[in-house]
Amino acid sequence: MSKGNIAIIGIGEVPTGTYPERKPWDIIYETCMEAVRDSGLHKNDIEGVVAVAPQAQPRLSAEISFGKLPEELGLKGCKDTVICNAGGASTSNCLRMAEHWIENGIARAVLIPHVTVHSTIPIPELVNFFAQAGVDLQWEYPFGSTYNIIMGLIANRYMHETGCTAEEMASVVTALRSWASRDPNSIFYKKDVPSVEKVLSSELLNSPLHKRESNVLGDGGCAMVVVSAEDAKKMKRPAAYKLGESVRYFSGSPVLRDFRKVGEGFKSTAKEAMAQAGIRKEDVSIWNIYLAYPLAHPIMAEALEVAPPGQAGKYFLQGRMSFGGDIPWSTIGDAVGRGHTGSGVSAATYVETARQLMGRAGERQVKNCRYVYQNTSGGSGFNVIATIWGREVK
Amino acid sequence: MNFDMTKPIPDMQPWSAGFWEGTREGKLLIQTCGDCGSKIFYPRKYCPECWSGNLGWMQASGNAKIFSFSTAYSMVEPKFMDELPYTVAYVDLDEGIRMMTRIVECDPADIKIGMEVEVTFFQRGDFYLPYFRPAKK
Repeated sequence: MSKGNIAIIGIGEVPTGTYPERKPWDIIYETCMEAVRDSGLHKNDIEGVVAVAPQAQPRLSAEISFGKLPEELGLKGCKDTVICNAGGASTSNCLRMAEHWIENGIARAVLIPHVTVHSTIPIPELVNFFAQAGVDLQWEYPFGSTYNIIMGLIANRYMHETGCTAEEMASVVTALRSWASRDPNSIFYKKDVPSVEKVLSSELLNSPLHKRESNVLGDGGCAMVVVSAEDAKKMKRPAAYKLGESVRYFSGSPVLRDFRKVGEGFKSTAKEAMAQAGIRKEDVSIWNIYLAYPLAHPIMAEALEVAPPGQAGKYFLQGRMSFGGDIPWSTIGDAVGRGHTGSGVSAATYVETARQLMGRAGERQVKNCRYVYQNTSGGSGFNVIATIWGREVK
Repeated sequence: MNFDMTKPIPDMQPWSAGFWEGTREGKLLIQTCGDCGSKIFYPRKYCPECWSGNLGWMQASGNAKIFSFSTAYSMVEPKFMDELPYTVAYVDLDEGIRMMTRIVECDPADIKIGMEVEVTFFQRGDFYLPYFRPAKK
């Protein structure tokens, strides 16, 4: 028996990029109005707003936290609003809150917006925020750790244990960018897809991470409208139904994160979410992975048993996860393809999940897309939330 | 642009003060639980295993093996730029504790996973950070 309680019935999104002239509220208006219109509902049908917390933007975060969004958009039917912050896992929690409100009669239709504008944040503030977020200020930060270095520690160990090569790791970027180059909302839309050689010839930031294996910060935003699965069916519109979910917490500080426990968590949450959805691994049409860094993707591919142990790098190098490959994987290209919008890449990934299941992904559309696995992860990887979405309730 | 160039010192808590006092004396201390016997890293107010407040300290040997490492060449906070290149590592102490540290006193090219290292202390302000260097044979 699948979960099947809620469905995404409307989506809106703006291109990710560096657009300092595009204010946060420009994005909120544009994405929310597009999502509501796309759902076929009237703005006053929105009874709840659950917003993804923007990272490193305290003023905007406070405005949204304290209820400005429904007022600004004139959502006359809104009964309540709240913001969720779990870093990259925020959107999953927004969907959970929407599910709770819908199941308990608090709201019939819930709007979930995300907005981030990095380009107008003073660079010293941005650098300092990302240096301290998700790391321990006593046991990690004083040693000069960064997100890039934490990723380097993970990747070096994985390569040591599996024999995965630098070329194989670099090919993950090629795969992810092959999807991003076909995504009108990507910062790399219509840009050349870098070869393995080009990735490896970029500056080594910290071993084994090259510049092209790290993320470009961008501005962006999106919105979703969520209703009950029952209402979605009655509306007879293309929708993405939530069919299964499972989660594991690992640790807040990277140093306390047990690598094996993380791998097992990736594996068991996927199995539990699929079991809840009543599907098998073979039924999954797209593995829509959000991990922020490309170097973590082979670890995930092996944990999900999409690739055998130690073979994921080869799969990427062979182009199996690239656009046109036989394993549709991260069809917006994760953060390295889309451009990093703080907590927003996971929101964009959910929008892509819905878009694919609605059959509206354009050139990236995966044929006969029936079920999508999507994960999120917060902070520097404190948890994993696995979800299964379908184009109908089983 | 005005970057804060102050080198960060550990955000010490009352219950971790003993650890940092130990480093001033050249000792690497591990917090221990007097009730369940757990070795605790990082130090807490209460034992994370049994919630006991009966906590003490044991001195570690200072010997460890590198679990993983990453050598930074660029894109660190401006306050750390003058230290580039530097190597951040996870090391596993002989006592079963994993901690983040720096690997020093060697060429980054010689650093390997599994390499045996020993503690050395690096002063920053009033603190002595536990760094590790290749173990003397």
